[in-house]
Amino acid sequence: MTEITIKPKIKLKYRVDMSFLSKIQDYKSIREFLATKISYGNKLIGISSLFKITGSNMSKVVIKSADTSMDNIGKGLMHIDMTVHGNVGYSFGSNMISGKLTLHGNCLDYAASGIKGGKIIIYGNTGNYFAVKPNSSNEGILDGFIYIKGNVGHNSIQRMRRGNVIISGNIGDYACAEMISGSVVVMGSIGKFFAEGIKRGTIITKDKKLTKNYRVANNAEYNFVGFFINSINEELGKNIFKNKTIISRYHGHENKENVSEVFLLKS
Amino acid sequence: MIHKGIKIDNTFAEAFNMKASRIIVTADNYKWALNACSSFTGFATSVIACGIEAGIETELKKSETPDGRPGYSILLFSMSRSQLEKQLETRVGQCILTCPTTAIFSGLDGDDIIPLGKNLRYFGDGYQISKKINNKRYWRIPVMDGEFLCEESTARVPAIGGGNFLVLSNNRKSCLEACETAIDSIKNLPNVITPFPGGVVRSGSKVGSKYKALIASTNDAFCPTLRSISNSKLPQNVNCVMEIVINGLTFEDISLATKKCIESICKSKIKKDIISISAGNYGGKLGQYHFHLRKIMK
Repeated sequence: MTEITIKPKIKLKYRVDMSFLSKIQDYKSIREFLATKISYGNKLIGISSLFKITGSNMSKVVIKSADTSMDNIGKGLMHIDMTVHGNVGYSFGSNMISGKLTLHGNCLDYAASGIKGGKIIIYGNTGNYFAVKPNSSNEGILDGFIYIKGNVGHNSIQRMRRGNVIISGNIGDYACAEMISGSVVVMGSIGKFFAEGIKRGTIITKDKKLTKNYRVANNAEYNFVGFFINSINEELGKNIFKNKTIISRYHGHENKENVSEVFLLKS
Repeated sequence: MIHKGIKIDNTFAEAFNMKASRIIVTADNYKWALNACSSFTGFATSVIACGIEAGIETELKKSETPDGRPGYSILLFSMSRSQLEKQLETRVGQCILTCPTTAIFSGLDGDDIIPLGKNLRYFGDGYQISKKINNKRYWRIPVMDGEFLCEESTARVPAIGGGNFLVLSNNRKSCLEACETAIDSIKNLPNVITPFPGGVVRSGSKVGSKYKALIASTNDAFCPTLRSISNSKLPQNVNCVMEIVINGLTFEDISLATKKCIESICKSKIKKDIISISAGNYGGKLGQYHFHLRKIMK
């Protein structure tokens, strides 16, 4: 069985809700799936009139020549391996539950908001409000693994509860606000007001300004760090921590409610 | 049946259903990983009195462990789930947690989950940190050399315990040497362990005893010193018998290990002193698995 391949037939004039792709495994046959209708402008239109769809393996989906008019790609994704080529619209991978979502391009705001599990790999940049809490919940990411090769916009990673976020580039202002737990790695620089109101969790960064109000812990051996780095490299299939070493750990903040830890990275 | 110059008796080993689990112990170097593993697998030779049977399965390279450090995998076997859980927790707490630089991970995936570091985390007295990576939870427990990292749980799988064979020799030196050769041949064979000291047993047992309090007693049929006064199964020229007990995850794993062991003895120089290879059984009435030596060596 070959993977399902989707490619727009026309230049999209209106925004398209692509969340129907995440439910592809609910259909009994590919024929039934092709009969699906979605909103396009003010009309209800069959998906086959907008997209050229080939293949039959419903557990693997490839989107080619994606467009920034395509919103909600991978929304609520479960047990599907989806790869997207091109730039995409809003809410990429939001509320994802399991499976794998790979984007070879950039995405607009609200990417990965409220994910509960699975793996999101973005070989590009994301807009603002990346990995924020959804309106329906008081908590942000509940679990999962996210890797961003590029930069991340402002107001990202709100109220993160669990999971691991690795950002190779820079992150904007007001990121990691009210973080509850989980692990965030930022290889580039961090914006203003980073990790305001953080309670617990682990942050690995090379930007020393974050450590201003923390106490230096010590240079003890942390078995977790080696394991964590090893796990990330294994997940990504490459060593992204090459030539980077952890030089010190900060634990304990002047705000006693903040018991988070910061590992300072030297590159 | 004569296999490469050694007689293989027409008999079988009788083995039992057990439950098994695998853990991976890593440390800064092999020395300290081995120290932890030796301590963990100490007093774990037989379920009769030790609760579990455990042994080091294989040595793991840095590239084969979850945290990229050298380590060993340990297999542990028990008759009951509760005993396996209890022994695992106690031994990890007293032998791995206490050993410098170590970390512990699950070596099995499955639906039947048993706790590994789940309760051990309370040793952290509130300073322990939970991390979830790839749908698995880990605990970071602060200790005096840094931190002890342990996976929250491991899996339990059905397994087989009690596969065995006996080496019958005309002297003790060559019998021991043959057994050492056999054990060396399966040193890094996956899915099997030989839980007894050095992998060899000299006190094979039979079920029951003339003393009511004992459930097992010496296997007089294979004791050379009793040949003239008991119902012995030994020919006159046998002066020493040693047993190798093999526990494994599947029937095929134990069969393969038995075959490798006997083959290695057959290839060794010491084979001239080996009279025959036999096996221990209880008449086929107790164990669920029968390992027929001649079938295995075909």
